[in-house]
Amino acid sequence: MIARALTAALAALALSGPGAAQDFSENSEARSWNLFAEQPARFEATVVDILCEVTGNCAENCGDGRRQLGLLRSLDGVLVYPNKNSQPAFTGATVELLPYCGAEVEVDGLMLEDAYLGAVNIYLLQRIRRLGDETWVSANRWTDDWAENNPDAAGSGPWFRRDPRVLREIAEEGYFGLGLDRDAEIRAELFP
Amino acid sequence: MRHNRVFAAFLALSSPLILAAPAFAEGQRVQLRGEIIDTWCYFSGVMGGPDAVVGSAHHTCALWCSAGGIPVGLLAEDGTVYMVLQIDDSDESAGGDTQMRLASHVVSVDGMHYERDGLNYLVVSEVVQDDDIQVLSHDDFGVVPPFAVPEDAP
Repeated sequence: MIARALTAALAALALSGPGAAQDFSENSEARSWNLFAEQPARFEATVVDILCEVTGNCAENCGDGRRQLGLLRSLDGVLVYPNKNSQPAFTGATVELLPYCGAEVEVDGLMLEDAYLGAVNIYLLQRIRRLGDETWVSANRWTDDWAENNPDAAGSGPWFRRDPRVLREIAEEGYFGLGLDRDAEIRAELFP
Repeated sequence: MRHNRVFAAFLALSSPLILAAPAFAEGQRVQLRGEIIDTWCYFSGVMGGPDAVVGSAHHTCALWCSAGGIPVGLLAEDGTVYMVLQIDDSDESAGGDTQMRLASHVVSVDGMHYERDGLNYLVVSEVVQDDDIQVLSHDDFGVVPPFAVPEDAP
């Protein structure tokens, strides 16, 4: 009898533990990106500095935007890694999360779980709000933040065509990163 | 005997919940070699399969993503992805210059490896060797994504 009870408890723990795959899609309004391994995921969490959370090397205000930020999920303590904000523009999630450093929030977005590639608890953040707030905030501030920080970026078009650091790298090493001479050869081959 | 084994397993699974104390993962010193990749394109498949989003074909996109604050990883020779949290003294893992300049490069590093909730994390103490771009993926994939290199680029 004792063994049966313990076995049942063991099974319950195994199913509810951090390693178990859980469904966080209830009430999610996340938009699909048609990604192979995506699942809608809405959950409560605390916004943390990942370097601090993993290694104990902590910085004031989660690193002020220098460091990647994570979501410590309230239900099970799992550290979720938001790789992406909601903009289809090569943009991460730190800018969106920094205002909530240390705060309890609710988030909505897409979870990626692809064991073949090692993608576990990888997240695309679409909207966020502090616990208790009614209004959601869209996770799409990155490009406005970039524009504020790069008022002199010349030209038109999306940020990644005008970013001074990106342009400097391409000017030095080419689009393929193999040096300017090789770059010109490859482009001539690809675009005759 | 069977009771003991079940009870031991019960304790092993339940102790983290009983203690409920956030513990830092224990790091292990490692020497690794691999490519500095853009983890979102690699994990999501948004730009194609894993072979298409490494190396020269994907280099401009890797620059964009790194500058855009998407986490970089080290794709080790055995296929394991390590999420890079720090390189040398730079903790600028969200769009910093140090990681951007290493985009698509194959590097040998010395550092500390941590595991947490299924992901591997890496704090690089030293980039021992930087072999620049080694994966000439443009031979197979051209440009990824196709618009990354303007056809009329000077």
